[in-house]
Amino acid sequence: MSWLTHTLNGLAYGSLLFLVASGLTITFGLMRTVNLAHGAFYLLGGYLAYDLATRGTDYWLAMAIGVVGAAVAGMIAQRLLLHRIAGQELPQIVLTLGLALVIGDQILAHYGGDPISPPTPPGLTGPVELGALVFPKFRLVLIGIAVGLALLVSALLRYTPIGAKVRAAVDDQEMARTVGIRVPLIFLLVFGLGTGLAAFAGVWGGAFTSLSPDSGFDVLLLALVVVIAGGLGSIPGALVAALAVGLVEEFGRVLFPGWAMFTLYAAVALVLALRPQGLLGKGAVR
Amino acid sequence: MSRRILAVAAAAVLLLAVPVALDSFSVFVASRILILGLFATAYNVVFGYGGMPSLGHAAFFGIGGYTVGIAVTRWAWPMPLTMPVALVLGAVAGAVFGLFCLRVRGVYLLLITLALAQAVFGLAFYQTELTGGDNGIPGIPRDGVPTGSGFYLLALAVTAGCVAALWAFQRSPAGMTILGMRESESRMSATGYQVATIRVMAFAVSGAFSAVAGALEVYLQGSVSTASLSWQISAEVLVFAILGGARRFLGPFLGAAIVTGLEVWVSTYTDRWTTVLGVVYILTALFLADGVLGRSRSLLRRLRRGAAPPAEEAADESVIVEAGK
Repeated sequence: MSWLTHTLNGLAYGSLLFLVASGLTITFGLMRTVNLAHGAFYLLGGYLAYDLATRGTDYWLAMAIGVVGAAVAGMIAQRLLLHRIAGQELPQIVLTLGLALVIGDQILAHYGGDPISPPTPPGLTGPVELGALVFPKFRLVLIGIAVGLALLVSALLRYTPIGAKVRAAVDDQEMARTVGIRVPLIFLLVFGLGTGLAAFAGVWGGAFTSLSPDSGFDVLLLALVVVIAGGLGSIPGALVAALAVGLVEEFGRVLFPGWAMFTLYAAVALVLALRPQGLLGKGAVR
Repeated sequence: MSRRILAVAAAAVLLLAVPVALDSFSVFVASRILILGLFATAYNVVFGYGGMPSLGHAAFFGIGGYTVGIAVTRWAWPMPLTMPVALVLGAVAGAVFGLFCLRVRGVYLLLITLALAQAVFGLAFYQTELTGGDNGIPGIPRDGVPTGSGFYLLALAVTAGCVAALWAFQRSPAGMTILGMRESESRMSATGYQVATIRVMAFAVSGAFSAVAGALEVYLQGSVSTASLSWQISAEVLVFAILGGARRFLGPFLGAAIVTGLEVWVSTYTDRWTTVLGVVYILTALFLADGVLGRSRSLLRRLRRGAAPPAEEAADESVIVEAGK
């Protein structure tokens, strides 16, 4: 029975990773903006919601403000900073690392270094009992949310006019501009969507694993792993990879505790070295 | 050429005067600048000269540090034994990283090196019997290792020796192949060079001297922890190189000196040094893509517009890297 619990735990953790990775696969995989501050926006959303909720704000309102606040912060960063170095990977890396340091340090200054947990969504607390299996309701719902979000974002990109514009803006900026697509606006909105998704993951991820000012980078790394292993810009790939990483992480921790991070990252490095385009990715790497 | 000899002589006099002229805290800071400067210079073999943006060099720095920590506390090895072993282990780790990076470029290379460095971090974090886990190895005895000014002079000697070796390496035929690979891989392999071997060699040399810097750092601090393996160290050395100027041999060293000096100065005023560091990163990305040296050079050229650049300087430009692309 404990195996089933571990499997569900792994899947729930993988679902959380997918929530983070879905935002990253949009900004990094699709827009090709290397955003190493993604984990910082995850923290920003989580801490904002936690702060409001502890002051007595209604849970769903606190969550909405956390998500929207981080999305707005992301859009400001995109417009004021990242916009100036579009297409230059190395400066993007340095800039977003700097942004991550600033956000992490400011969170440390305001909330201290001890881990915090935003509350579990009301109605999702407590366990589900299915026969002999007892499992937290919240974690089961998380799995459902991840699959639903994967379908929603894929459909948004594939079937809606906005999705078509996004794909056009990414594939050929100049041609998209020529036919009247407002590329800078699209990029701004897509970046906001990406950071908003990161913040949403932060609110719920915090309720799952707790948050601390330096946990943003760990989350970012796992999300990067998911995005790349799944194939850049591929939402279904990200879902598969996220669930796989969640399971590897859970069982790795249980079976080989002394080698926890080593096995995961060494395996990822090996996958990348042999198949740089990712598991489900297509085409050659530049 | 005589100008260069004069400059080296002047620098040597200044560096040797540090322990005489400054207080003990400043000497400590100067030792740290030397060590991080060596790290940045070694890093640039892969980054500036090799055109390979690594974000995993903390691994080599930390491997050097843990070599000292483990060897000294367990077997009481003396410094003349730990330093060469750190160098060799750094070279081996560098070669392994290089092998992983054979087929990837750009962002992918960056992410592979990051993943590999996290794997090393994971080892140090979870193999607690050997490494002390999260606590690291505190209170490493420094028998036979001088302190204060003596350590500064030792660090100066090691750094000068290593930087001179790196300079000679990069000017050697083998070192020049790294430059050639950066400029045009296809032409290098068409002329018969083994590009794979060159990559592995660049990583091995860079890893070896990065590990020496990490070992020196542990002798300076008297302890080692997983902090020396964290991604922040990898990011910092990347910023050293870009900020100082990855196009020039001494650019990264200058970057290390600027950031470390700034850190000491700022932290006397505020605890929020990390925020300031983040702002330095952001400003570097926005305004200093070719580094302080690159900036000052182009400024100088603008001032002297019309005058032909001296031939010697033109030759230096052959070690250009497109750090901004």
